[in-house]
Amino acid sequence: MIKKNDLGRRRSFFLFSYKWRMVMPLLILMFVILAYPLAYSLWISFKNFSIVNPNQDHFVFLDQYKKIFVDSLYWTVFRNTIIFVIVAVSFELFFGMLIALSLKRQIRMTDVTRSIILAPMFITPIAVGLMFKFLLSQQLGFIPALLQSLGISINFFGTHTALITLAFIDVWQWTPFMVLMLLAGLESLPEEPFEAAYVDGASKWKTFWNITLPLMQPIIIVAVLIRALDGLKVFEYVYAITRGGPGNATETLQYHIYKLGFGYYRLSEASAVAWTVVIIIMIVIIAMLRGQMKGEKAR
Amino acid sequence: MRAYQKETNLHKTIRILFLFIVLIFILTPFLWVILSSFKTPAELSQPTSIVFSPVPDNWINVLTGNIPINFVNSLIVGFITVAVSLLVGLPAAYSISQFKTGGNTARFTILISEIVPSAVLVVPIFLVSYFFQINGTLIPVTIAHLTFVLPIVTWFLIGFFDSVPKSLEEQALIDGCGRFEAFRKIVLPQVLPGIGAASIFGFVLSWNDLFYALILGGEDTQTLPVAISSFDTFRGVQLGEMSVAILVSAIPTIILSFFIQKRLIKGMGGGAVKE
Repeated sequence: MIKKNDLGRRRSFFLFSYKWRMVMPLLILMFVILAYPLAYSLWISFKNFSIVNPNQDHFVFLDQYKKIFVDSLYWTVFRNTIIFVIVAVSFELFFGMLIALSLKRQIRMTDVTRSIILAPMFITPIAVGLMFKFLLSQQLGFIPALLQSLGISINFFGTHTALITLAFIDVWQWTPFMVLMLLAGLESLPEEPFEAAYVDGASKWKTFWNITLPLMQPIIIVAVLIRALDGLKVFEYVYAITRGGPGNATETLQYHIYKLGFGYYRLSEASAVAWTVVIIIMIVIIAMLRGQMKGEKAR
Repeated sequence: MRAYQKETNLHKTIRILFLFIVLIFILTPFLWVILSSFKTPAELSQPTSIVFSPVPDNWINVLTGNIPINFVNSLIVGFITVAVSLLVGLPAAYSISQFKTGGNTARFTILISEIVPSAVLVVPIFLVSYFFQINGTLIPVTIAHLTFVLPIVTWFLIGFFDSVPKSLEEQALIDGCGRFEAFRKIVLPQVLPGIGAASIFGFVLSWNDLFYALILGGEDTQTLPVAISSFDTFRGVQLGEMSVAILVSAIPTIILSFFIQKRLIKGMGGGAVKE
């Protein structure tokens, strides 16, 4: 009988053992395409490099960051992104839960219904952006024309509405992801607590609030985290539809970085803004994980 | 159906009505784009017209233009990205799953690298490809796609390998298979459906990317999303062709998604940290 440990053990240096040799290509590739660019990017953000002005390439340490933090445009962009994420993710969670609960009880035609409901998340976001730009266009769009026949006139891409419109395009495309995650969670719930609640005569609403939600908390946190991190990177809808306008009303962090880096070729400043995104991401993750740990302790 | 799962007729009606409305919300944009792709420019200026005589002009224009080239570019990038991910990810995922190589640190590193924002990586990749004079080709685009496809594919594979019983491999070793042979002949076939699902998912991710392809690709090496984004010069004349381009990019991934939806749920939770 061969013991499990013997499979991966060799007498030579551990990195040359069978099990490490199988991981080595991945380690090397991840170092080259992820770790090295990451370090390089941090280094660039400490300089004042710009392609249009190659002579200025000095180490300025935190100067780029200081410049960003007093830039009012940065804070506008920051605010836009946060509003976008909060609006999009909260509606995705709300609709996602409703749809997942409805689908769970579905008995007939489940495969067809699920396939259609999940379809939007597989389309390239730029196509979704253009589709809605077209659909909501004031002159040529189907929805404004329909609303006009009902006597309602909304400019979907005005100064105050554009950002919310973009958030709802995100809701259209990514609620399916919430459905996918929540449905997986709902289907793995144990049956006993629900039977007990039924025997005790608890109402459906109470059962959902006191049993389903607490049991689902871990998967809700993961789903919200994934969507929030993805939402921070929103680019395609902005690029397809508004290009940050009207004014700067829909300029998001990712689009701002694109504009700085590859519109103006101010690569150091773009990298510095990108690193502020990394900091935001780390704060979000730590906050979420803390919340989860607290929840676990309370139970 | 258990007693607690029973629902009243009223509840059932509301639930089905709600799902029906959801389906309408999802399908309307698609149907409208499909209709628009067969309209003439004159008909396109009347958004609510549903009855019209369809013309294939838009489809002919798009399919004899540059879009097929962009389609092939996207295919090339997607295939190479997935192939490299499998080549590198398969043995690593196997080792991490079966021999606990690197322990939870390895699993965590793979997961966390999925979170690195594209905005951070794009500037270095741009500068390095500039240095090697490969900027504007499909090479930096493929490398950039690997940064997010490789970790997620490996993550999925770890999950699928975790579900293979260890006894299978041990039996193969006793029967005189070599270690690599046991991996190739006994374990790999067990996870083949999982490999298929992970590959399709990685391909879809690569296919759908705009940010990297827009910045790192060149005029002649546009992928499909980049080509589509240039339709945005909004003239009524182009709307029909844009509708075709949207459909050409969306239909392949929607069809592929039908094959992987069930496994996707498993894959997402599959690589989770194990004791």
